[in-house]
Amino acid sequence: MDIFLTRLFAGMTAGSIYAMIALTLVIVFRSSATINFAQGEFALFTTYISWWLSERGWNIWVTLIPAVIIGFVLCAAAERFLVRPVRRRDEAAVLIVGLALFTGLNGLSGTIWGSDDKVYPRLVPVSIDSFLDIAGARLFYDSLFVMGALVVIVGGLSLLMSRTNLGLQMRAVATNQESAGLCGIKVGRVFMISWGLAGAIGAVAAAILVPILPPGQLGLPGMFHMLIFGTVAAILGGLDSIKGAVVGGLSLGVGLAMINGYGSALGGSISLTVALVVVVAVLGLRPSGLFGSKRLERV
Amino acid sequence: MSGDVLSQASASAAAPEATPLLETRGLSAGYGQSLVLRDVDLAVGPGQVAVVLGANGAGKTTLMRSLAGLLPFSGDLLVDGQKVGAVRPDRMVGRGISLVPQGRGTMSALSVHDNLRAGAVSRRDKAGVEEDVDRWFTTFPRLAERRDQAAGTLSGGEQQMLAIARALMSRPRLLLCDEISLGLAPRIVQELFETIAQINVEMGTALLLVEQNAALAMKVASYVYLLEVGEVVQHGDAREFEQSDSIRRVYLGY
Repeated sequence: MDIFLTRLFAGMTAGSIYAMIALTLVIVFRSSATINFAQGEFALFTTYISWWLSERGWNIWVTLIPAVIIGFVLCAAAERFLVRPVRRRDEAAVLIVGLALFTGLNGLSGTIWGSDDKVYPRLVPVSIDSFLDIAGARLFYDSLFVMGALVVIVGGLSLLMSRTNLGLQMRAVATNQESAGLCGIKVGRVFMISWGLAGAIGAVAAAILVPILPPGQLGLPGMFHMLIFGTVAAILGGLDSIKGAVVGGLSLGVGLAMINGYGSALGGSISLTVALVVVVAVLGLRPSGLFGSKRLERV
Repeated sequence: MSGDVLSQASASAAAPEATPLLETRGLSAGYGQSLVLRDVDLAVGPGQVAVVLGANGAGKTTLMRSLAGLLPFSGDLLVDGQKVGAVRPDRMVGRGISLVPQGRGTMSALSVHDNLRAGAVSRRDKAGVEEDVDRWFTTFPRLAERRDQAAGTLSGGEQQMLAIARALMSRPRLLLCDEISLGLAPRIVQELFETIAQINVEMGTALLLVEQNAALAMKVASYVYLLEVGEVVQHGDAREFEQSDSIRRVYLGY
């Protein structure tokens, strides 16, 4: 039982992180129907900024403020000045812009801060006894913190979507861009804000995940795996559903923890393989994912 | 409501010398290499009801989409006598021109209420928006019953009512209606036309209708444009058109 719980906690922690990455992808996809492959690299870049400021004596929590703002501005600017001009000519070329941003931002981070790994401070300090004992299994406080952060982000997003005028506009654009435009909604502005929002959430997610996922340090290749797991979670959830991103992320995290734990006979690290098998299976069996919209129309 | 409201609408035309609310000069539009509209000149005055009649493929929908800022075009588009530069749907709404697109154009995943609220995003008067929501719920009781239902689950007639109410939520001065009768039962079409005629009479909202149901549209309209293969071949006063036998036979079928 305690081993099962330990694995469940580990899975939920990782799953919360996948869910956060998935959320950033879903927010972008809902508005502009593209997967932003550079999403992880935007988050990497802002985390370097956060690290750099903390090296200069800033409190790590305070460094999140510029990181979030820069994440928002960078992503919004990328949509406005790189993605949008290309989209007008060719939808497929948007993916190429994403890949260019992916390598470009990674290279930029490397040029500015070097390729050696950095020790990124934990937002929640841990010691050997900072855990809750639940039926013999240890639930560390930083795991609770990660799950709590997911709850706060999802709660905030849900309020934004259901209670604000901006949320209404974002939902309208997600449903039907043309009709949204005919309502008087500035569709381009909604795109830009959606990208910015994804960048801001990505900045928070990266600051949380970098210290707790192996290798526990800030390095240039760090976000690539996360982007893959986040993409799998998003696809599992249906790509355009916030609820789907959360359920997809958590089930992926818990599922992988169980497979890696109980299926050790299969070999050490099969997570990535399993994750990709999940994507192929979902796309084959249920292309709209668990909660994706199936475009309900009556004529 | 009686059929009288239809002719009441056509009587409330603006004085001809007033600056047109919307005017096109040499408007041409199309898709890729093929030109669908050629040199279209038309004008709608404040509070006026005009109808564009034409067969399938005459370019009626292309015209409406150009006017609403959904399609690029060449030539001039003037609102209140001012040339419009970048034509974008949200800016046309901002200028008081709102389109009910063909095929309804509601946001299917949003609730009926949210569709109406979305129609009013260009407005800042919160209280007025809620007043208008109530107003259209009173006009269309069937929408009120389905207030929290996703728009995609409504019947065709209900979706058309929602599309009209949604377009009116921005309080337009001119409502563009692209074949609102398409695919609907005659009784519902009659109802919808009586409603928009009443809106014209009560609120002074100008209407530009594109219709295949010419007989009904002619009752509401005071001015008619005949569109053939992308060109305006004739235009004039609706009452005079009804007197002309040849036009009646070809376009009105009675």
